Amino acid sequence: MITYLLRKVLYTILVLVGVVVVTFFIRPPGDPARVLLGQRADSASVAAMREQLGLDKPLPVQIGTYMVNLVKGDLGRSIATNRSVTETIIERLPATALLALTSIAIATVLGILLGVIAAWRPNTWIDTLTMSTSLLGISLPAFVVGLLFVLFFGVVLEWFPNSGYVDRGPEFLVLPMVTLAIRPLSIIARVTRSSMLDVLGQDYVRTARAKGLSSSTVFLKHALRNALNPVVTTVSAWFAGLLAGTYFIEFIFNWPGIGLAAFNAIEKLDYPMIQGTVLFTAVVFVAVNTLADLVYGFIDPKVRLS
Amino acid sequence: MSTSTGESPSRLAWRRLRKNRGAVIGMIVLGIMVIMAIAAPLVTPFDPSTQILEYSVKPAGFRGKVIYKRNLADADVPSILAVSSYEEIGDSVFYRDPAGEPYRVARSTLIGTAPHEYYDEPLFLLGTDRFGRDLFTRLVYGMRVSLSVGLISESIALAIGIILGALAGYFRGWADDGIMWLVNVVWSFPTILLVVAFSVILGKGYWQTFVAIGISSWVDIARIVRGQFFSIREQEYVEATRALGYGHLRTIFRHMLPNAAGPIIVLSTAGFATAIIAEASLSFIGLGVQPPTPSWGQMIKDGYGYIALGTNWGMTLFPSLAMAIGVLVLNVFGDGLRDALDPKTSQR
Repeated sequence: MITYLLRKVLYTILVLVGVVVVTFFIRPPGDPARVLLGQRADSASVAAMREQLGLDKPLPVQIGTYMVNLVKGDLGRSIATNRSVTETIIERLPATALLALTSIAIATVLGILLGVIAAWRPNTWIDTLTMSTSLLGISLPAFVVGLLFVLFFGVVLEWFPNSGYVDRGPEFLVLPMVTLAIRPLSIIARVTRSSMLDVLGQDYVRTARAKGLSSSTVFLKHALRNALNPVVTTVSAWFAGLLAGTYFIEFIFNWPGIGLAAFNAIEKLDYPMIQGTVLFTAVVFVAVNTLADLVYGFIDPKVRLS
Repeated sequence: MSTSTGESPSRLAWRRLRKNRGAVIGMIVLGIMVIMAIAAPLVTPFDPSTQILEYSVKPAGFRGKVIYKRNLADADVPSILAVSSYEEIGDSVFYRDPAGEPYRVARSTLIGTAPHEYYDEPLFLLGTDRFGRDLFTRLVYGMRVSLSVGLISESIALAIGIILGALAGYFRGWADDGIMWLVNVVWSFPTILLVVAFSVILGKGYWQTFVAIGISSWVDIARIVRGQFFSIREQEYVEATRALGYGHLRTIFRHMLPNAAGPIIVLSTAGFATAIIAEASLSFIGLGVQPPTPSWGQMIKDGYGYIALGTNWGMTLFPSLAMAIGVLVLNVFGDGLRDALDPKTSQR
């Protein structure tokens, strides 16, 4: 177990190094100093700016400096606001975390429920309805769903407010949360259904039925528990997609999270801010997946050996 | 197997695919979209960048009155004058614009000489945007962008994914370790963020967008190809190619790759759909294909400002629907394809 743990952690660090190098290169084409100062800046001030940003040093040194600063928790300063990127991310984390966590919770619970219902009576109208709705949910990008929700529930029906943060009341959370949940919910529902159908076709389920157990016991206790493994994988894999989705959702609903900061940074080509938010998202994703792997390794000895 | 013996796998798959109602409908809709995109100038009433500012933000089904004037800058695209009424006197045409202001143009500058040639009451099927451009026209031209993004980006992704996946699966060892490290690094970024990041690096524009999406979406393909190669490599016919002294490349591309084609095809229809979504997302945040080239994401963003006003929601709804339909039929088609190519679902 210890070797498995060590190997896993070491490999994760190796992947993170790659992630940091990729992130380092996220900058607009051309000379960042010139991008910052504008086309008309004279070459002396551009040179000074290059020196200030450390751009005059060779590339490996720059990457090294970037990594050392990262380890110290320093993601650089925003070009647009001159504020520390780390501070901005920490300040905005609660808003994004609230949105992402409530969404994934709703998506998991409802997704499993719908998937189980569909698998309970496969190829009936309820299965068809669930699966075709979820297909629609997969086909729509989050920002389109968001806009359509704003249109119908916000403007036409006036059930929920269009935009704004939850500090003005819990109703402000509803539309962004549901919007963000639609895609993972659809996918979780589909994965649950197919995994349930897989498990229900196996011999031990037939044995349980033959023993005379009631069909609901077989279904919920024997089948569901074993069908959930791929679902857990899907949930953890989708968590990152969800974080990326917040970029668009926060913009549409004017939700003051990391995504909105990133969105504004992209418009201004404020690359330290873009780097910071992208890196943050990737690190969270890697951390979630490594944790999921470790948990699997703990539960299932087969994983440890492979 | 319910099939007669001797039927080739691809014919069997095709027969199964035709029996799948969803996949057939998907294929038909896709076919219509492709034809419309190719024949865009023939099926649309206007040029996508023709502006009729007098007719800005009109609702769906609006019928305008226009006079076509010769365009000195571009002979193929007529200038369009919005009118409320017109009258021919001698060599001139006197008209009033929609606000009622009177104007005069020389008849020789118009397209054609008779009223039925230069005057028209075109239908703006889906209404107009804030520059008075026909939404239907822009939707069809936007489809061109979306479909080409799907095609080109997915080709780039396929090329990278197949080569890296094949190398990893075939050679294993350190090649596999190195490639899988790269796969894991790229996989650590959510695809859409990676697309955004590459767009920042490459800059805005048509080709930059295609490349950014392509080099962000090869990971799934590489994984599948690698997995397939792992198992294919153990089969006798691969051993036979080695015994016959074939080179690595010949074995990989002529003998192993065709046998891994099924999952790759299925994955690329899904990738096609994802590429369309990625392009729209990029355009929505202002990266990606730049104006005046019409793109669905841009159109949705243009309409976004009008949603809160509660007016002209068609500007958002129609491009959203177009994208939803496009991605939906691709997904349905992909599902059908997967079932058709999967030997385990032979009873269908």
